[in-house]
Amino acid sequence: MAISSQRSSDGSRSYSLYLIPGTIGFILIVLIPQLANLGLSFTAWKGVGTPRPVGLQNYHRLLTDDQFWGSMYHTLLFIVSMTVIPVCIGLVLAALLFDYVRDQFGEWVSSFFRAGFYLPQILPVTVAGVLWGWILNPVGVINITLKAIGLDNLAQNWIGDATFALAAVSLVIVWIQVGYCLVVFMAGLSRIDPSLYEAAELDGANWWSRFVTITIPLLAPEIFVVVLTTLIAALKVFAPIFVITAGGPDNATLVPSYLTYYHFFTTQRVGYAAAIAVVQTTLTIALAVIFLRFQSQQESKE
Amino acid sequence: MKRIARLALALGTAMLMTSVGHAEQKTFKIWWFEEPTTAQGIVWTKALEEFKAKHPDITVSFEQKTFQQLQASGGMILNSDQAPDVLEYNKGNATAGLVASQGLLTNLDDYVKKEGWDKILNEGDLVLSRYDEKGIYGSGPVWGVSVFGEYVSCFYNIDMFEKAGLKPPTTLEEWVADMEAFKQKGLTPLALGAIDTSGQHLLASLAYTKADDAWVQNYQGLKAPLDGAPYLYAAQTLLDWVKKGYINKDSTGMKDPDAALLFTSGKAPMYVSGTWNLGTFASTIKDFKWGQFVIPTPKYSVGSTGNLWVVPKGSKNPDLAAEWISLTLSPKYQAELGNAGGVPIAADLSVITNPIGKNAAAVFKQISDKSGLGFYPDWPVPGYYDVLNQKDTGLFQGSLTAEQFVEQIKQVYDDTQENQ
Repeated sequence: MAISSQRSSDGSRSYSLYLIPGTIGFILIVLIPQLANLGLSFTAWKGVGTPRPVGLQNYHRLLTDDQFWGSMYHTLLFIVSMTVIPVCIGLVLAALLFDYVRDQFGEWVSSFFRAGFYLPQILPVTVAGVLWGWILNPVGVINITLKAIGLDNLAQNWIGDATFALAAVSLVIVWIQVGYCLVVFMAGLSRIDPSLYEAAELDGANWWSRFVTITIPLLAPEIFVVVLTTLIAALKVFAPIFVITAGGPDNATLVPSYLTYYHFFTTQRVGYAAAIAVVQTTLTIALAVIFLRFQSQQESKE
Repeated sequence: MKRIARLALALGTAMLMTSVGHAEQKTFKIWWFEEPTTAQGIVWTKALEEFKAKHPDITVSFEQKTFQQLQASGGMILNSDQAPDVLEYNKGNATAGLVASQGLLTNLDDYVKKEGWDKILNEGDLVLSRYDEKGIYGSGPVWGVSVFGEYVSCFYNIDMFEKAGLKPPTTLEEWVADMEAFKQKGLTPLALGAIDTSGQHLLASLAYTKADDAWVQNYQGLKAPLDGAPYLYAAQTLLDWVKKGYINKDSTGMKDPDAALLFTSGKAPMYVSGTWNLGTFASTIKDFKWGQFVIPTPKYSVGSTGNLWVVPKGSKNPDLAAEWISLTLSPKYQAELGNAGGVPIAADLSVITNPIGKNAAAVFKQISDKSGLGFYPDWPVPGYYDVLNQKDTGLFQGSLTAEQFVEQIKQVYDDTQENQ
């Protein structure tokens, strides 16, 4: 017993060596900047010179800032377009490609579609944003096409009208996100025993029944991972907003990350920007912890 | 073998000597963010060659930056030991004013006299060079020097105007009449990027039609809460123009390049924007004749002296930096700037042969001589650029009335004015 304990202690000591680079990286790149940011959130600072302590003033201001609350509301909507919709579409597409397209048209066709859906993930977001800006602007491809086929009434000011801007940006985000969900789900599907599907098919289960009773339950671990990562991405979404709408029109697509950037670099209210970032980080960590606990509870039940 | 060994030894010694020589050579670092294809970019590159030839004993190290890079992190760079000896920096309270007030720049007062800049530039040209201890422009030491100018005007398609039997306007009423005439022909007269600078520049131009000296000085100097009357007039006028079809409501979905494309492709007869378009328009518009008219206001135009050459506090070569500034301000390179289609600040107009640069330099001189530079509307308040863009789009798309628009931009302005 003593020997085994000695061994285990030696083992964990030698394994812990491997954690050193990651820990140093975490301390330097994540922990110290986060602590510095937390410290700055209690100051008034223009980005140069000496920060002036102001206590909780920045947080107090946050509570009454309509722009901040508006941006938080938009974040909820972006959770739908970055997490809910792409996960749903990704699941159905993955199951279709894996279970139907591959069987009917072969591996090559299935891989072709998978690569096609994943392509927006490879494209830099700024490039995709600029392209979509051209497509969605009032003299862009969508409106030109609609007008060319006689559907003039459907042509809209997609990114310049508050009624459509959020939906238009969401469309771009769904387009970007679906590939990520699809690829992870397809990887997950490849580890499911095909005999389950065969047995279900022999029992007369149709595609939808197989999808609901086999695919979704067995893909639960992948779904958890994808939902968590896309949820975090939704809470800190920045690049598509920055490139396509800059938070406009009239703040209709403003999100907390853009508000942080705006105050940090343009209004010179670095302390206030830091306070927004602190709230945003806290929310993200809290949601991630809740989610992971829920996941581990589910796993322990199983 | 011996020969090869000797050769290797000789080469090695030579390389060592060279590197020792380089290590001893003084390095002069210079940054600017003008694109290489702009008039400034072209002319300063030439001047840099002359500067290098004059100083063979110095290693001149140039780095091309972007406006965004310096806008976002200029203060931090100037606060570090990585700053160059001289760099182009954006003028205004929130930029040059801020870093000057934080002690990050070299006071250039002595050089103004020593280099004779006071004989080339008048006090009006130096207004945006001076910043007080709070970082507000207009008074205090000279912290930077501009060697070019810029102004907002209305670019117009001469062929379309001639075909419609119209002339460039000299009054606001004539401008409206021209727009109405184009509208009657089924054309949207004015291309506009309402989510970009051209939206707020048109708004400010209209506000300047109702602004007097006191208003401009108070507004730009954050000297009083915002008197919203000129902006209310401008906002109401813009709403009226959108309603009448002079400006497309869909402009809220357009950035400046999209709107500029409508003008350069001959689809819109007019486009309000700044002289920074001159070079691009000269090289891209081949199918029609085009010109500029100054937006008819009693005195003030949106515009300013250009970005500043500033010398960071930590510069090891301030004398060389001053020499560089003098070179770009010299008659030779001022004329070159005009001939490259730019807007020189102090050129002899008779030696400029490029008609675009000649006209732009003459118009700038005309505005500058009557002290008519009203500056940009976003200057007084840090972050006001985004506020104006956001609220402009609200106004254009109809989610804000003219009164609500003014109320909202006034709230941000007054907040800064009160807490400065």
